[in-house]
Amino acid sequence: MSNNIYLPHLVTIEDIYEEAPDVRSFRLVFKDKALRETFDFKTGQFGLYSAFGLGESTFCIASAPTRKGYIQCTFRKSGRVTGGLSELSIGDTMGFRGPYGNFFPVDEWKGKNLVFIAGGIGLPPVRSVIWNCLDRREEFGDITVVYGARTVADLVYKNELQHWGDRNDVRLIQAVDPGGQTPEWQGKVGFVPTVLEEAAPIAENTVAVTCGPPIMIKFVLKALEKLGFSDENVYTTLENKMKCGVGKCGRCNVGDVYVCKEGPVYTAAEVKKMYNDF
Amino acid sequence: MADRILKKENLGKLVASVNGKGGRFIAPVLDARQVVFKDVARAEDIVSDYILARNSYKEYVFPQTEVVADFTVEKHGVDLKSREVEARETVVLGARPCEATSLSSLRAIFTWDYIDEFYTKREDTLVVITVACTKADEACFCTTVGLSPETKTGSDVYLLETESGDYIVETMTEKGKAFVERHKAAFTEGGAKAKALVMPEKIGTIDLNKVGARLKDKSHYDDQVWARLTRKCIGCGACTFVCPTCHCFDITDEGTAFAGERRKNWDACQYDTFTLHASGHNPRHYQYQRWRNRFMCKFNFYPEKFASKGCVGCGRCIRVCPVRLDITEVMEEFSR
Repeated sequence: MSNNIYLPHLVTIEDIYEEAPDVRSFRLVFKDKALRETFDFKTGQFGLYSAFGLGESTFCIASAPTRKGYIQCTFRKSGRVTGGLSELSIGDTMGFRGPYGNFFPVDEWKGKNLVFIAGGIGLPPVRSVIWNCLDRREEFGDITVVYGARTVADLVYKNELQHWGDRNDVRLIQAVDPGGQTPEWQGKVGFVPTVLEEAAPIAENTVAVTCGPPIMIKFVLKALEKLGFSDENVYTTLENKMKCGVGKCGRCNVGDVYVCKEGPVYTAAEVKKMYNDF
Repeated sequence: MADRILKKENLGKLVASVNGKGGRFIAPVLDARQVVFKDVARAEDIVSDYILARNSYKEYVFPQTEVVADFTVEKHGVDLKSREVEARETVVLGARPCEATSLSSLRAIFTWDYIDEFYTKREDTLVVITVACTKADEACFCTTVGLSPETKTGSDVYLLETESGDYIVETMTEKGKAFVERHKAAFTEGGAKAKALVMPEKIGTIDLNKVGARLKDKSHYDDQVWARLTRKCIGCGACTFVCPTCHCFDITDEGTAFAGERRKNWDACQYDTFTLHASGHNPRHYQYQRWRNRFMCKFNFYPEKFASKGCVGCGRCIRVCPVRLDITEVMEEFSR
């Protein structure tokens, strides 16, 4: 039945990158050659990834739509499905359904400065936006990335962080939580919201994008408010538990808002209007 | 046109006609001393003296468990096969007018932009034959949610019981007309006097508009009222399984590491793992938050999002609840 909305596409794991303890990325290509050519998505959209025999898990698409021919996902080994995915090797087959959900309105941000703020495993969805914007670098003003993790080891995309840090058209501020630093650590020590406040990006003509643990997002939104950002210019992506991804299974809703259908990308203004169901 | 009559002694003919033409006949029967919807082969098994079947007939359009795909994991890849829904005439006799309205709510969810054909193909071939209520119990509250035994929406065929145990037949939809035509040997013409219908008394202290308005005002989410009213809920999820509009499900794989099935299984928003994140964070950590979600789903999400009823007032959740948590008491609280 070609209209089976629960039927995943088969994808091959083309490459695996160890990002941090228990965190890895897969570079995936569709088995179906035609789909490989035509598959398109927008930055911020997500998918359901299958480990056959164990089930499906929801992650964002961590690669940028400006990079064609493959998708990347990044996940932390934490449950049954991600545990199963962690045991797969290059060349193995898994499943993918998507893309689902809405996206970051990158086209509306032309001419604006961008500030990306992420914590821990919250960087993958933001990475998609960062690369999307870096691949269209001339369309945007200043780009700032504030990224923190619990420890130095927990920082994901270490090679890319170095690349962003080396570029003179990106301002990268890295941080680790107090106690998470190593003797060699060159970055900041502190929590992301505090580090963001110290970095004090200008709010004028600037869009902020944030993702991380719920508690971090909460304080990042406060910090941005203090810095003068209006709620309409602050975007986040809500990563609730999902099973179907298409508005049917009933678990991702925040009050009356179905994150899989009406999200996962929201402005802070929209988040503040939601029922307190986080 | 003269009324069509479905005589009690012709029920067997109807059952045989449906089953004989490759269809499936569902009706209330006794099982473990409870009246439940089940497949019927003999008309003698059909129970006519009941208020509502314990289960909702939603399981015939949205099965408790169903395979959506089969897979085998091989050395050089995965062989994945989609499942096709076997669409055949399925007849539910003995639905009540309240629950007959639930299918439009389920359909709204299962066709919300993405069409779930596992649901739609079944619903397309489902014939709902309602028998209007001549009895009610304390748990019935259809009149409080704007329905009644006289409600005909959602029924393909609407039956009125007569004094002699026969049925006066009214076809409500094209599907219903086609059904009667296809099995016309079981129907006769003539007149008869219907038994009086019994209307559950409307709960005067409940005003659905007030409930809706209170729920729309988001401040109630942090109100102690939820914890106070629903503290005794043990999270068994029974209310969701018997509810004709509850639609939540899980998608899981079953089998071995080499071969198995991907299944869609009923799930319940009342379970603690339902919304639990991999990180350990749970947006609905406390039971009252889960109960609040279900109530919101019925009286806010469904009406606001789909302009359909989230609650049909069948009262099954009240009858089945092991701690006697009565949804109408919460409705009353939110009518104040």
